Formats: sequence, structure tokens, C-alpha cells
Amino acid sequence: MKVGVEIGGTFTDLVRIDANGLTIAKVPSTPSQPDAGVFHALEVAGIAPADMVELAHGSTVATNAVLERKGARLALLLTEGFRDLLELRRQDREQLFDIFYRKPAALVPRRDTFEVPERMLANGTADRALDLEEAGPMLERALREGGYGAAAICLLNSFANPAHERDLADWLRARIPGLRVTCSVDVTREFREYERASTTSLSAYVQPVLDAYLTRIEARLAEGGFTGTFSMMQSNGGRVPASAIRLNAGSALLSGPAAGVTGAIRQAGLSGYTDIVTLDIGGTSADVCLVQNGKPELTREAKVDTLPVLMPMVDITTIGAGGGSIIWVDEGGLLRAGPRSAGADPGPAAYGRGGTVPTLTDAHLVCGRIQPDAKLAGAMPLDAVAARAVFVPLAAQLGLSVEELADSAVRIASANIVSAIRLVSTRRGRDPRDYALVPFGGAGPLHAAAVADALAMETVVVPPNAGVLSAYGLLAADHSLYDSLTRRTRLDEAAPEAVRATIMEMRQGLATRADGMGLGADRHWDVTLEMRFVGQAFEITVPLDDALAEAPTGEGLRLAFEAAYGRIYRHGGVMRDRMAEIVSYRVGLHVPPEAVPSLAGIGGHGFAVPEVMVEVFDEGRRQQAMRMARSSVGATPRPGPLVLEDVTATTFVPVGWLAASDPAGNLILRKAAP
Amino acid sequence: MNPVDQAVISQGLLSAAREMGIALYRSAYSSVVRDGKDASTGILDAEGNAVAQSDELIPMLVGSLSITFRSCAARYPIAKLKEGDFYICNHPYHGAHHLQDILIFVPIFFEGQVVAFSAAVAHHLDIGGGAPGLNSSSTDYFQEGLVIPPSRYNLDADWNDDGPLRHFIGSNIRVPEATLGDIDSQFAACAVGAARVHEMCRKYGTATVTQAMAEMIAYVERRVRASIAAIPDGVYVGEDALDDDGLSETPLVVKATVTVKGDNLTVDFAGTCPQVRSHMNAPFASTISATLACIKSVLSGEDVPFNEGASRAVTVLAPKGCLLNPLPPAPVRARMEASYRAYDAVLKALGQAMPDRAVACGYDTTTGFCLSYLQDGRYRVFLELRDGGYGASAIGDGCDAVAGPLSNCTNTPIEQIDADYDFFRIEHYKLRPGSGGAGAHRGGLGSSRSYRILADGVRLAIYADRFRIAAGGLAGGGAGALGHCHVHRDGEVIEVRSKADVALRKGDLIVLASGGGGGHGNPALRDASAISADAAQGYV
Repeated sequence: MKVGVEIGGTFTDLVRIDANGLTIAKVPSTPSQPDAGVFHALEVAGIAPADMVELAHGSTVATNAVLERKGARLALLLTEGFRDLLELRRQDREQLFDIFYRKPAALVPRRDTFEVPERMLANGTADRALDLEEAGPMLERALREGGYGAAAICLLNSFANPAHERDLADWLRARIPGLRVTCSVDVTREFREYERASTTSLSAYVQPVLDAYLTRIEARLAEGGFTGTFSMMQSNGGRVPASAIRLNAGSALLSGPAAGVTGAIRQAGLSGYTDIVTLDIGGTSADVCLVQNGKPELTREAKVDTLPVLMPMVDITTIGAGGGSIIWVDEGGLLRAGPRSAGADPGPAAYGRGGTVPTLTDAHLVCGRIQPDAKLAGAMPLDAVAARAVFVPLAAQLGLSVEELADSAVRIASANIVSAIRLVSTRRGRDPRDYALVPFGGAGPLHAAAVADALAMETVVVPPNAGVLSAYGLLAADHSLYDSLTRRTRLDEAAPEAVRATIMEMRQGLATRADGMGLGADRHWDVTLEMRFVGQAFEITVPLDDALAEAPTGEGLRLAFEAAYGRIYRHGGVMRDRMAEIVSYRVGLHVPPEAVPSLAGIGGHGFAVPEVMVEVFDEGRRQQAMRMARSSVGATPRPGPLVLEDVTATTFVPVGWLAASDPAGNLILRKAAP
Repeated sequence: MNPVDQAVISQGLLSAAREMGIALYRSAYSSVVRDGKDASTGILDAEGNAVAQSDELIPMLVGSLSITFRSCAARYPIAKLKEGDFYICNHPYHGAHHLQDILIFVPIFFEGQVVAFSAAVAHHLDIGGGAPGLNSSSTDYFQEGLVIPPSRYNLDADWNDDGPLRHFIGSNIRVPEATLGDIDSQFAACAVGAARVHEMCRKYGTATVTQAMAEMIAYVERRVRASIAAIPDGVYVGEDALDDDGLSETPLVVKATVTVKGDNLTVDFAGTCPQVRSHMNAPFASTISATLACIKSVLSGEDVPFNEGASRAVTVLAPKGCLLNPLPPAPVRARMEASYRAYDAVLKALGQAMPDRAVACGYDTTTGFCLSYLQDGRYRVFLELRDGGYGASAIGDGCDAVAGPLSNCTNTPIEQIDADYDFFRIEHYKLRPGSGGAGAHRGGLGSSRSYRILADGVRLAIYADRFRIAAGGLAGGGAGALGHCHVHRDGEVIEVRSKADVALRKGDLIVLASGGGGGHGNPALRDASAISADAAQGYV
């Protein structure tokens, strides 16, 4: 039996695969004790640790440690003259018009930063040797007296030559046994000192928290007789063994939304859709990600609480449009939906926990897209009367009926999601019409058709059991390892050999790590280069196909660069006589799991939905919609309006759209011919 | 009008403006546009009133799109525009800020009618003129580069396929592929705006979209007027000054008189010093933008998307011939310093009117720092813009070492400089402890950065301010520290003025320090825990 457990802000989801197919469970999260949530979910699903051969886990524990500033007591060691890197940041600010603007607190306070006499240059030669003769004793005393549990080291240009970082780390370990020391080159070997120092300190900061968390889980698993493999999701959309993620804890940051994207890719892939836009709408937010050819876009500019993380991360854009998003009228009289949220507690008025402001979930209930007796997993009864009541004052203010107001709010939220998808596609130079929309999360399938309609996207692929797709994604994910390195290489005659050698060197490093983790032999690689014209101040990402990565040629590299360049600079043309150069390399190693069945194959859940006509208010008018179990929709397309329910989510199919099930168990929505 | 259509179209137009901004900067050759976001994009209605402007680009260009548009439309009427036509202008005496900023307006036709305009402005790296990089010696704007007066051209006839306008501009500038490429990106951004407006017209009909645009302007006017009405009626005066014009020692006084009456607000810069001979003048469009950016920050923050409605509620006046409304042909290249003092003068006046929103002045200076070196027959130019401390308020300390409030430029990573430049090296980059003005809340700190010169013949060009006149404190708070630029040479320290050119020698060490923000409140009332925290962290 294989089990995936995903801890979200509101719910902890579980997906189990065994000989009988898939089963699922959903329990409320326990934010104060996240690891207890894992075992609660196992208990509810009736799973004994000894029965699992594999447990895959996704958790927000690392991200929360940063947001709540509850990580290691950390010292940061920097090149002399540069102790303030974390405070100076990149000098720009997050809000443009805030006269009271303050930077978020640095992860390592200034008094915990220390300067080390040394200076490495970009070409890897030392302008000043590491000299601990004079400064060493003072540094040692300060670190001993400071009571630090961990130290992070980030020295200038260490990616070009790590000798000073290594020597300093050895020196520290020898003098202060027990101090956990993290070198920047072991976290990322890319240039830009602020971003690397930020990434290194984030990784060192969350490491003890993550370690303690995993140790607690492992101990309880062992008590229960667990002898299987235990893996954890990373922000790049792949997994690693739990024992390994402790060595590079930064890769666990922002891993939550990545599992859903991986699940969407796998599940949509079963129906042959590989160019997709994923749309995950949960309780507080909507997450959007663009997937090209079955691979999520990876960003190099990810941030946690505005702190940069220089690691490949699934590029997810988040906006404040979730079930709990508050519906309000601003000072100028404009109707708004979000970004503020009623959260999980009190949550929507319909939850009957004292929520007094209208939310999107309330709006869907008022409009009939969610039926009051819908048996959603985690089953909380819905209070339709309370949901209606909270809209009354606003409706009176705007001179609308309660239904009109609720429907308007839903349309505004959908419009905000449409904007987010447009911005993501424009940023990437893509056209949403070339993609299928894959909605998931509890509320994604409610908005999907309207969103696709506005973007002229022709197809919506609704995964089965869309509410637990993230937990499924954990089991469907590859094991993935990444390495990146800044090493400037001009595209001259010597380039192909130098590029080949660098890629081989990085691949061997990754293979050794994978061997150490006991990962299987079915290994896939992806290689991207950060390239630019010599003299340009910024790079563009150039993916290499397998053949080119194996045997680089001068012409092949140049053409790959020009193709990527042309996608961005559609108008300016390529400057053919200018020398191009590689700035950084990134290599990924992926080991796929054994075949994972479709999420549709849920066994053991009798799920009855009365097949009746219900009243729905959509696009400004009252309509009669057929309500039925999603599983009752067959291969023959059925016209909307339809309210389709399964155990984790409701799909709304509006007028003008057709819904049909396909062999993979996905529900395919298409615009009806006019 | 249906409130949901209104909300959806409004959000759609704002989103279109943002998307245009992304289309512009993601493919910009100029790092000033790409990283500094020194650009602006927006949608104007069929008469050229700004409806939506991207809020992710720098504040300095808030509210000035329509000014340039009107200059163009006055000469080439909208009624005569054909599909494919566009307006273009970079004339600082016709609504542009300086010649580096080229504005482009493309009419959006739907069913044969102009329903809106898309607008894109970008700061270009090179626009020709007297010298590459920084040229502080211009005595009129003609020496500052190629002047594009308010004009109408046609994309197919004049621009595409190496059209004559493209060829003409390309022949007058030093790095044509970058500048022309960035103009291409401006057109691409405008095309994105047109596509979005087309979609809305198809879905809602032109009449509804037009009505929604009018309502969006009215909405912003309503919100701005509501926040003005909350200010007590009265006359409030703020004053600040620039160090000098770089030629003499005379401080340049900037004075703002803010008059609030009901829901009207007027800012009059009468009493500001006369225009100067150097390029420190700010053309009127810059003065308007700086004023509106300050008002937006103090009155409404991020949430109110400024458009023509804000300009209707706020009147900005400046006497002709003064530093903030110079007469041609005064040069204007370095208009940011005077714009910052206009911002500060308005900030001080508004602070009196709204004590709970009052903030002390920050360092608020554009520190343009440029090292150039002729190597193997080619100019190597390093240019960066620096930070400064923000002013404190009744709410808290000022922010340390951050880009000025009208811009948002990033710094250049040390490791990037190490790899790209071999004629200098950064030796330190750190906060300047104690540089924030004292107060119950202290001003933000400035920073210090040093550059070791590794070759003979390197030239330093700088324009900055607040080397002699500090950011003042508020409500009993102290002033922030001054900025300075020192060259350490053979054991001596050479003091460099805030606007200067210096020939350097191998071995010189330049220390460039940005100053701090003003403090707020009596320093004796500073919280004991804040004092001990400052001491522990070494901020003082």
C-alpha cells in the first residue's frame, strides 16, 4: 500500500493506492501540531503504519517556520565589508506607494552576522586569503557566547571557488562541535550574493525545524512497525527521501502548491493533455501555474515572505480568491471579491462558525452551484439561511437581489482569476488559448468554465476527486534532484567541450547523490542554461533537448539560444553578430514512480447524489440545472447547466458548455457549438 | 450601469494596463526598464483621458500620460486618425519628462471608431546628444539628445520593415538596436492593450465599455475627493531645497502651498526658485507626477488606482520660469532631484494637514553614480542608482537604505560587478549606523559603498543631492545624516560635490554614502526597548 498525505491550511488530505485501487480521506488540519494531523488522517483512513510500503508527504512546516520566524538560532558569516547583505537586500521595495513602508525583518538579525577576512574573485582566485589567525579567536568566542544552534556561510564568489567556505566550515566544526554548519555552495552555486545568502540562511534556518518534525514522524511510524520508504515533496514538484531533504531543507519551502501541480500534470496527462494551465482554488487563495509539454514552468525568482529562494521552484502565481474570500464594497462604491479572507475560522457564514461577512463559498451556496446538502468530504453541514442573511445589507446598498449580488461576486472573482492567468501567460510569452485549463481544489471546478470562457480556452479538464489532487500528486511525483552552477562560458570554439564537461560533471554529482538515496535506475535528465549576449545585464532561460545536452555543438547551442531569445524579443530581432555566453547551468535528475492509477479509481465510497433539477442563478439569471453525481456523466456529452458532485468537489457546467467523461476518468468540458 | 459589468471591466482595464507593463519590461533591452521599471503603460479613453495605468511600474510617471497626449492631439486631431496611426513624443516642453522618455499612443479602433488609446512610455538608455552616459554640461535641451516633437506617424508606412522614422531615429543614437528594440516593445505593449479592449467591446459592446471607462474616472475622482474632504480646510506650506545646481553654491528652494477647500486640493509651487542653467530643472509634467505620487501615497496608498479622476480633483500650479516649470530651452536631464524636493515640500505641507499620516522627509535623492573607462577603443560604462533612508512617522522608524519613493531601482550585485568590470572593485557595502535622524522614531539609515579603482584613466560622474542640506526631522525629530562622496588617494581625502566629474587614478578608493531619513518626535521619548535594540544591532 502506498499513501500520500498532504497537509494544507484547512484540511489534511490522504490518498491511498493498493490492490483495490484508490481510497481517500480528508480531515481538518491541526496547525499547532502538524505531525499529529498525519497520524489522524492515517487513523481515519484505517491505515496501520506497518501496512505501508511507501509514504509520501507534503507539508507547510518549513514555510511556516519562516513566516512565524520560528527557525534556528542562526549565525551568518559573510565576507568582510558585507555583513549587511540581508538588510540591504536589492534596495527595491515591495509596495510602491506606502509612506510607512518597512522591510520584513531580516531572517538573521544584524548582531548575528559576522565578517570574515577573505576575498575571492569571480575567476576563482583569492584576492585575499582566508585569514583566521587574527579574527578567529574573536569569532569563535562570539559564536560560543551567542548560543547559536546553526551557522550559515556565504562568501563572495564561492561558486567559482568554494575553498574559503569549506575551510571556514571545517574550522567552525572543529572548534564548535555540535554547531550545524551550512555552506552556500551546498545550497546553490549560482551568483548574486544577496539571493544566495538569503537562500542559504533560509535553508539553515528551517533545517532544525524540519529535522525535528520528520524525526517525530519517523519515530511514530517506527513504533507502528513502518519499514517502507518515506519521501517528502519539494518546491520543484519532485520528491526526495525524507532523510535527504534535511540536508537541503530550503527545497521544502513553498512545496505545498507544487504537489497539486504535479497531480494535475499526471492526471491530465492520462487524457493526453500536456499543455495546461492549472487552477487550484482552496479556502483562501487561487494558485495558477503554466505547464508546457508536461513540465511546469520553474522560476528562479521565488520568494518566501519576500525573501528570495535561489532554487528551481514551480512557478505558481497566487491571488486572493478562495472560498473564504470576503465580498465587500469599497469606499468608491465598487463591488470587490477578496483579497481578504475569512480564513478557516470563522470561515464562510455557511459553515455556521460565527462568520458574519459574505464569502465566495456563501455566494456559490446562494446561487445554487453548491447545494446545501452536498456531502463534501470533511463533511460540514452548510447553513444556507446564514449564507443568504450575510448578503442582505450589501444587496440593499447596491440595489440588487441577494442572488444577483452573489452571482456578481462570483463573476468578479472569476474575472480576477482570468487576470492572473493572463499576466502569467504574458510574462511567459504564451497564449492561454493554446492550453487546457485543469481546475482542482475544492472550488476550482466551480469557476473553471467561466474562466476558460473569458480566456477563449476551448477545453477544461476536471480531474476526478479534484479536492484531493495534491495528495495524489505526492504519489504521482518523480523523485527529483537539481543542481545549478554559475560558470561563464562564451560560445566560442572551445564552448561545446566545456559545456559538455560541465553538464557531465553536474550529472555525475547528481547521480552520486541519487545512488546515495537508493533511487532507481530509470533516470531522466533536464538541462537548462541561463544565457545572454555578452554585455547584457540579464539572462534568459534556454532549455536544451536531450541530444544537445548529451553532445553539445556550437551551432546547436546558438540556435537554442536564438529560439528562446526570439520568444521574448519577438520584435527586436536577434543580433546575429554578437557573441553569446552561458552564465549559469541547471541540471535536473528525475526518477519516475511506478505506474500510478488514475485518481478516478476510487474504491469503497458509495456516493449517492439525488438526480434532480435544482435552481441555479448564473450569469445574471435564474436557471434550472440538473444535479447529479459526477460519475453518472458518461462519454456522451451532456449540456449545461449541470451541478456535478463527487466526494471532494462540485463541478459547475454552465449553459453553453458540454460535459463528458473520458476513459481516464477526467471530466472534459467543452464549449458547445453555437 | 450594472455594477458587476462595471467591476469586471474596471478590473479588466487595470489588468490590461499591468499586462502591457509586463509585455514592455520582460523584453526590454534597457536595464533601467527591465530592472528599474522606469516605464509606464496605460489605457486612455477615446478623448485621451487616462483610465487605467499600470501600478507595478515606477511612481514617477503617475498621472502624466494625458499631458503628452493632449500635445499630440492638439496638433494632429483624433478625428483624423486612421487605423495603424500612432502618436509619438519625447519633448519635455510638450508633456514628456526628459528626452530619454519616449511616449507612444496607439488608437484602438473597434468597428471603425476610436474607442480608446493604449499608451506606453519607457526610459531609453541612449537618445543621442552630447555624450554617452551622464552628460552634465548641457546648457539647453537640444544638447541632451534627439527631440521628437508631438507627432503622428503610421506603423506600416513609417516604422515596420525598417520604415523611415525607425531609420531616422536609429541614425541619431549610439546604440540603435537597444533603443529601437525597446520602442518595438512599446508597440507590442500597446498591441496587448488593444487586444484586451477589443475583447471587452465584443463582449459588452462599445457603449458599455465607454461608459465603464467614464465611470472609472469618476470613481477615482470620488475616492480622491472623499479623502480630500476628510482633510481640514486650510492653507498648508512646505519647503525644502536642493544643495545647488552644480555650478554655484546657492541652495535651490522649492516651496509648495497646499490649499484644501472642501473636496478640492490645490498645490501651488509659487515661491520656488527660478530655473537654473544646468540640467537640474524639472519640466512641468515631472512636477505634476511627483505631486500626484505624493498625494496618492499620503491620501490613499496602494488601493486607489490613479487616473484622470485624480487630476480633476487636484490642481497643480507652478510659475513659468521656475525650477519646477522651466521655460525652453532649459536643460532637464537630471529632473529627478528637483522632483524629489517637490515631493518633499508637498509631503511636509500634507503632514501639517493630516498629522496622523505625517512622515518626515527621507533622503529622497536620485544618486546617479557612473564610472567610465576607455579600454581598447571602447567605452566601458558602469552606472548605478543608490538608496537612502526613509523618514520616520508617528507609527514607526523610517525604512533603512531603500530606493527613493519616486523610483524603485535595484542595486547591482557585487558578484555581477566582479564578473563584468575589471577596472574597479567594490570593497564594502553596508548600512551607515547612526545616519538616521534621531527621534521617538528614528529616520531610516543610509548606506555606504566603496569602489577601489584598478586602472588609471577611469572617470567618475555623479549627480546627487542632500550633500549639504539634510532631510529634516518632524515633530521634534532630528535631521538625517548628509550623503557624501569621498575619494581616498595617497592618505588624503578629496571631497566630491553632489554634482561633479572627477578624473581618477589607479588605487583611488571612492566612498559613496547615502544619507538618512528625518526622525519623528522627541528623541528623549524613544522607547527604551527600541534604544537597546538599536544598540544591540549596531544601528546607532
